Amino acid sequence: MAGKSGRSINNVPESPIKHMIFSWEGILVVLFILVNIFCKGFSEYYNLENLLRQMPVYLAEVFLMIPMAYILVLGEIDISVGATVCLSATLSCMMCNTGAPFIVVILTALIVGTVCGAVNGFILTQFEELPPMIVTLATQIIFCGIAEIVLGSGGSISASNTDGFRLIGGKVGKVPYILFLVLILAVIFAVILGKSTFGRRVYAIGTNRLTAYYSGIHVKKIRFIIYTVMGTFCGLCALFLVASSYGANTTTGNGFEMDAIAMAVFGGISSTGGKGNLAGGLISAFIIVCLRVGLGQRNVHAQVILLIIGVLLICAVALPNIIENVKRAVKK
Amino acid sequence: MNKKLVSAILCGAMVLAAATPVMADGGVADGKKIALVGKSAGNAFFEIAANSFKETVEAEGGTVDVVYPEAATADAQIKVLDNLISQKPDAICISANDVNALQAKLEEAMDAGIKVSSFDSAPNKDSRQVFVNQAGTKQVGQALLDAVLDISGGEGQWAVLSATSQAANQNAWIDAMKSIMEGDDKYSKLELVEVAYGDDEPQKSTDQTAALLEKYPDLKVICAPTTVGIAAAAKYLQDNGSACKLTGLGLPSEMQEYTGDDDAHSCPYFYLWDMQGLGKLSAYATAALINGDITGALDETFTAGDLGDYTITEADDGGTEIVLGEPLQFNTENIEEMAKLY
Amino acid sequence: MEKKSIMKKITGSREALLAVILILLCLVVTAISPSFLTPKSIIELLKNNAVTLVMSLGMLCVMLVGGIDISIMSTLALSGMSIGMLLKYGHISNTFLAFVIAIAIGAACGAVVGLVISRAAVPPIIATMGFMYVFRAMGYLVSHGGEWAGAAALGSFKNFATSKFLGLNCVIWIIILCYVFFFWFMKWTRTGRKIYAVGSNPSAAEVSGINVKNINLLVYTIMGILAGLGGALQVSIYASAMPDMQYGGEMDVIAACVIGGVSMSGGRGTVVGALLGSLILATIAKALPLVGIGALWQNTIKGVLILVVVVVNVVLQRVADRNALKGREM
Repeated sequence: MAGKSGRSINNVPESPIKHMIFSWEGILVVLFILVNIFCKGFSEYYNLENLLRQMPVYLAEVFLMIPMAYILVLGEIDISVGATVCLSATLSCMMCNTGAPFIVVILTALIVGTVCGAVNGFILTQFEELPPMIVTLATQIIFCGIAEIVLGSGGSISASNTDGFRLIGGKVGKVPYILFLVLILAVIFAVILGKSTFGRRVYAIGTNRLTAYYSGIHVKKIRFIIYTVMGTFCGLCALFLVASSYGANTTTGNGFEMDAIAMAVFGGISSTGGKGNLAGGLISAFIIVCLRVGLGQRNVHAQVILLIIGVLLICAVALPNIIENVKRAVKK
Repeated sequence: MNKKLVSAILCGAMVLAAATPVMADGGVADGKKIALVGKSAGNAFFEIAANSFKETVEAEGGTVDVVYPEAATADAQIKVLDNLISQKPDAICISANDVNALQAKLEEAMDAGIKVSSFDSAPNKDSRQVFVNQAGTKQVGQALLDAVLDISGGEGQWAVLSATSQAANQNAWIDAMKSIMEGDDKYSKLELVEVAYGDDEPQKSTDQTAALLEKYPDLKVICAPTTVGIAAAAKYLQDNGSACKLTGLGLPSEMQEYTGDDDAHSCPYFYLWDMQGLGKLSAYATAALINGDITGALDETFTAGDLGDYTITEADDGGTEIVLGEPLQFNTENIEEMAKLY
Repeated sequence: MEKKSIMKKITGSREALLAVILILLCLVVTAISPSFLTPKSIIELLKNNAVTLVMSLGMLCVMLVGGIDISIMSTLALSGMSIGMLLKYGHISNTFLAFVIAIAIGAACGAVVGLVISRAAVPPIIATMGFMYVFRAMGYLVSHGGEWAGAAALGSFKNFATSKFLGLNCVIWIIILCYVFFFWFMKWTRTGRKIYAVGSNPSAAEVSGINVKNINLLVYTIMGILAGLGGALQVSIYASAMPDMQYGGEMDVIAACVIGGVSMSGGRGTVVGALLGSLILATIAKALPLVGIGALWQNTIKGVLILVVVVVNVVLQRVADRNALKGREM
C-alpha cells in the first residue's frame, strides 16, 4: 500500500482519545502550537493584537480553501479561482462607483463569482472527458482577460465610496468580522462534508466516479453545485480583499489558487480524491498564516519565507511516510 | 514518537529560519528606522536604487530594512505593509505595484504615525505624503519622442513596445509622447502605428516585436520604455539585421551589446535616469519627512546632501512630487562606462 | 477500400484530429497574415517556443505515470541563473560546459523531486509545489538577491542561439534531436514501454516485475534534465538571465500536453501529441498580435481558443467513437 497512505499514520490505536491525538489533525494542532511558540520567540511584534490586525488579508484566502477542499475530495482541481476573485473584485468596485447601495455591491461580487463558477461547472459537466485543470486554466485566462478588458488601460480601479467596505472590514473589539465568518462557514461546510449524505456522495465520487454514477449518485449535479459554490466563495473573498485595499487591479487574486490548494493539501486532503476533511485544512491554514505573519514581522526575505513553507510542506508529508518505511524495514 | 517527529520538523524550520539573513532591527537606538518596500524581488533595476538608498540613510546614522513582497502584486505588498505597521518604523518608502490598491493600508500606516514616501512608481495622492519622481513624465516623453524623430530621420512609421497594458509609469510616458506629438508640427510626419505590450516577458516581447515588423514592413523605429522589452526587442532586431531601429528606456548593462551607431547594432542610443541619484534623493526626502522639514506640501524646499536643494512641485495626479532631473542618455560614448555602474 | 481505412485512421486517432485543428489554425492565420507560413517565420516560432517544446516532452513522461510537476520553471530559473552568474563572473566561458552544468543542476533538482515522490510517497502536486518555492528561492539566492546577467555578461554563450549547423539554427537542432530521441525512447525501448505500463496500471506493473519507484524517480529526473536544458536555452535565446524568468510558465507546458491529448490520470499520451499541443499553443501566441487583435483582448481570446481547441477535440472524438460503434453494428 506504499504510496497510498498520503497523510494518515498507520497503526492508529483503537482508543478514541489516542486516535484523536495521533490523527493528522492532532499532529497539526501540535504543529500549530509549536509554530506559535516559535514565532513568539522569533518576533517581538508577534502578539494577539498584531496577529488579529494582520489576519484579514490572509483570511480572505482561507475562504477559497473551504470549497477547494470539496473539489480536491472530488479528485479535481480548480485553478481559475484567483482570476474569478479578480473579476468579481473589479466588477464590484465598478458597481460601487456607480453609487449603488452597498448591498448591491455585495450581490454583484457574489453573483459574478457564482456565474464564473457555474461556467466552469457547466463546461466540466457537459464535457466530462475534459480534465478540470485545462478547463480551469483556460477560464483563468479568460476571467482575468475580461477583467483586463473592463479595466481598460491603466488596469486599476479604486472604490470611490469606501463606507461599505470599511463596514465589512470592521471588528468586534479587536476581532475582525471576517474571522467569525470564516470559522462559521468552515464549521458548516465541514459538517456537510463529514456528516451529510451530500458529503458522503462527494467522497464516493472522489473515490470512484464511475462506481458512484452507477450507484445512482447524480455526479453531474453534485460537480456542478460544487464548482458553482467555489465561485460564490471567490466573490466573498473578493469582497473582503477589496475591504483591505479599497480597489482592484488586474493582478488581484493572482496566485490565490496555489495558496488555497497548499492549505487544503497540507491539511491532509488528498489531491487524488476521496480523502481528508476540512478540520485539517482549517488548522493548516492557520499554521501557514501564523508562520507567514511571524516571519514577515522580522522582514525575512519573502523568497526565504516561501522556501521555508515549501520545505515544511514537503517534510510534513514526507517524514511520516519515511518513518513508517524505516519502521517496517527494521521489523523485517 | 509522533511528537518527536513534529518537534524535529519544527527544529528544522527554526534552523532554516535562523540561517536566513535576518535584517538587523534598529542597530542605532536613536537613529531613524526606515522600511523600503520594493515591487518584487529579483529586479536588478530596483536593486541599484535600493542600495544607494540604504547607503545614504546609513551614512546619516539611520537603518534601512529593504523588504520585498513575494510577488509583483498589490495583494502581496498589502501583506508587507501589514507587517511593517506592526513594527512601527519611522517611515515607509514604497514603490507601488498598483496606484489604488494600497490606499487602505498606507492610510492606516499614516494614522499610526508612520511617514509615507514613495519613489519610482507612485500610489495615488491620498496614500502618500511625497513622491520622488525619477524624471518628469513630460521630460521622459519629450526625450523619447525626440529620439524617435532623430533616429527615423524626421518621418515615417514608429511603434511602441511597452510592458503590460496596466503599467502606470509606461502608460504615463506613452500618453505624454502622444500629447507632445499632437501639439507640435515638428512631429507631424511621424506616424505612431501601434502600442504593443510584451508583458515584460522576453518570449512575449519577441513575439510582439516580430509581429510589428511583419505588419508594418516600413516601420522605422520601435520605442520600448521598459527594461525587459527593450532588451528582447534589441536582440530580435540585431539578430535579424533589421533596418528598423530601437530606442527607449533600458539598463546599460543589459543593453551594452546592442548599442551602437552602425548597422550592426540595433539601438543607437537610449535613456534611463540616475538610479543611484534616485535612491539618494528618496532617502533624503524620506528623512526630511521624518524630521518635519517637509510635510509634502507644494513649494516646500529641502536639501538633499550633495545633490543640492530640491523643491516640491505639483504632480500630474494632483498630488505632489519631487523630480530628480532629466533622463540620462546612453550612447556609444558612455555605455561602457555606465554598464559597470548599472 | 484503402481510402476508407485511411479516412478511418484519421478520424480515429487523436493526434490526426489535432493535426487537422493545427492546420486549420495555420490556414486561418495565413489567410489574414500571408507571411505566417514562411520558413523564416516558422523557424522563429520554433525558436521562441523552444523551452515549452522541449519541456513538454518531460511533462509527457511525468503525466504518463499519473504525476504532475509544477516545479519545472523554478528548476529552469535555478539552472539558467546559475550558468548566467558563472558566465558573468568569468568562472566558465565554454558554451558546452555551460550546457552541461545547467543540465546537471536540472538533473539534480529532478532527482531530488523524484526521490521525495517515489521514496517518501509524497503526492506529486504537493512535492512539486514545495519544490517550486524552494528552487525559485534558490534561484534568487544564486542571483545575489536580484542581479541580472545581460547580453554583454554572457559572452559567446548567447551566440549558440544564433549560430547555425548545416544551415539550420542550433536551437532547432536541439528540438529535433530531443523529439527524435523521445519518439524512439517512448516507442521502442523497454524503459519507455515501462513508463506507459506504470501509468496505465501501477499495481499490475508492480506485479509484473517493474520497479514502479525507480520508474517514478526516472521520469522526474528526465523532467529535471529537460528543465535544465530549458534553462540553458532560455538564457541563450534571450541573452539574459533573470531570477524570475518563466514565472508561471509551467501551466503553458501542462496545457501543451493536455491539448496534445496526454491524459492527466496517466497511461495515455504520445510524443506526437505533445509536439502538436505545443505547436498549437505556440501558433496561438504568435498569431494573436499578428492578426491585429487589440492588446487588451489578446489574453481573453487566447483562453477562449484553448477552450475551443480542447472542446472541439472532445466533440470530434465523440463523433469518431460513435462512427466506430456504428461500423460494429453493421
